[in-house]
Amino acid sequence: MLPLEHLQTTMARSVLAMEPVAAANMLTAGKADPLARLRIYQNNTRSSLTAALMAVFPVTVRLVDERFFRFAASEFIRRHPPVESRLARYGAGFPRFLKTIDTLSDMPIVAETARLEWAIAEALDTASLPPRSLAEYDSTDLGLSPDIQLQPSLRLIVSHWSILSVWMAHQQETAVDENISWARRPERVALWRSGNYVRLFLLDRASFAFWHSLKHGFGLENATGRALALDPAFDLVSALVRLFRDRLVTDVRVASNFPSN
Amino acid sequence: MSSMFSPLAIPASAGIGLRSPHISEMLTRRPSAGWLEVHAENYMGDGAGVEALERLRQIYPLSVHGVGLSLGSAQGLDRDHLERLRKVCDRFEPDLVSEHLAWSIADGAYLNDLLPLRYDEEALAIVARNVETVQETLNRRVLIENLSAYVAFADSSMSEAEFLAELVVRTGCGLLLDVNNVQVSAHNLQYDAKAFIDALPAEAIGEIHLAGHATNHVGADTVLIDDHGSRVPPVVWALYQHAIDRLGPRPTLIEWDTDVPILDVLLGEAMWADMLTASIMFNRKQAARREQTTKTRATPIHLSVHSETTTSMPVLAAFAAARCARPCMSVALVSIEEEYHAAA
Repeated sequence: MLPLEHLQTTMARSVLAMEPVAAANMLTAGKADPLARLRIYQNNTRSSLTAALMAVFPVTVRLVDERFFRFAASEFIRRHPPVESRLARYGAGFPRFLKTIDTLSDMPIVAETARLEWAIAEALDTASLPPRSLAEYDSTDLGLSPDIQLQPSLRLIVSHWSILSVWMAHQQETAVDENISWARRPERVALWRSGNYVRLFLLDRASFAFWHSLKHGFGLENATGRALALDPAFDLVSALVRLFRDRLVTDVRVASNFPSN
Repeated sequence: MSSMFSPLAIPASAGIGLRSPHISEMLTRRPSAGWLEVHAENYMGDGAGVEALERLRQIYPLSVHGVGLSLGSAQGLDRDHLERLRKVCDRFEPDLVSEHLAWSIADGAYLNDLLPLRYDEEALAIVARNVETVQETLNRRVLIENLSAYVAFADSSMSEAEFLAELVVRTGCGLLLDVNNVQVSAHNLQYDAKAFIDALPAEAIGEIHLAGHATNHVGADTVLIDDHGSRVPPVVWALYQHAIDRLGPRPTLIEWDTDVPILDVLLGEAMWADMLTASIMFNRKQAARREQTTKTRATPIHLSVHSETTTSMPVLAAFAAARCARPCMSVALVSIEEEYHAAA
């Protein structure tokens, strides 16, 4: 008789279809064929995890059609099953996996759009902190280069492809003109959670660099320097007002040492 | 840590499983529901659902039901996951916490399904150790749920009911009796469903689950699939009646996980569970009175006690559904130049 751990390993590999099904003589199922019953577990695992991926990547599903998505998801599940039971964390590696599929090699927009959808899923599962207003700091000396803390759900994505345009085009039920959507055009996207929704914006290069520096804790001076290097006309005042207006600022404090990286 | 919520005890009546399509309606309508149960794993992040549950927890008693702890894993518990469960319990202060007699994790993979154990001394020692760890970590008694199964192990040396009874003795845990699971497993593995319920220690049963299942025909095999995707079927109501007859009223949950209908259908099913329990308890009282009357009077007076009316069970739920025959949720996307919204 197999030790329980060995038995469970054998069963798990059978359920994930990584190995031939477990030996029939281990199992019983009344008068039914136990191996046929074992396939119910295989189906449950595959179909429930596929449903979880389809819920996170709805636009990707539409880009490749549902049958192909299910095929890709099955392969992903078999090779990269979840390692923990929080399904909200399952799918982080799916965009990268899509890049490895030969059939999609001439459609890089698919994996890139999946990357955007994963960022949306992450943002939706992240805290939304109370925003601060500019007026709160009227009488505070913040020094020359304060640290500006932004909403933890903020995600910044740059792609060579028009991912936000594609994503937006697929929010309606109507058919999408693919010739228009699949343009090779760099897009820099900022997104964050606001209540039940995620807000998404296209940013120019300088604003993207500014937000990116602040998000990674490099401080206002560094962020401004990087933005001005990309666009000498970068308007710091407007940029700051916008951050507060969009309820992105969660704290402002006197700068400590900058992170080393 | 100071309590964020006033203590709300779960009554021995019916509650519903909180599902995401119903959250906004629960918050705005605040319908009469005995209590709510949530899957712990859905509230381990920091999304809008977590914020909504904090508001609902002010109104409704709460049960936290884990589906991913894998108590039967021979490799032991995922300590990180247990810590997340502890945080969920700290955050929402549920009145009940439950998990399954099953395993889902092996060989480094989470299978997102509840697999059966080989019921023997080795597994009992492993599960008992894991349950004790959970109870110590959460500093509370947990309820362990019987499983719906499609296969069993030839080398099991005891039944699932015997296993659960011994687990109660060893760990002091309580039990969650899933009546639909009993029906599904009893049919699929060919044993007596009522005998299974009768073999469990009644005093340990702190909660009951009710749900629907699907019937699949594969060749000559008719297999019941525990899909939680339909109304509680008559055969499960009958088994529930047997359980309540034996146990008396217990907190009873209506579970619905696939093809989730409008909220009023769930509330209707919960109402039916309450009425069935009330009817059983009323009949029991009447029978006791009759017995007492028979003993005290020389000439017995025959009271007119109606036998239990056979009502078509989904009628109540259908009434409730008809009252609320409108779309459940409709989220309009806003598009203002460069700004877009993605609905949660």
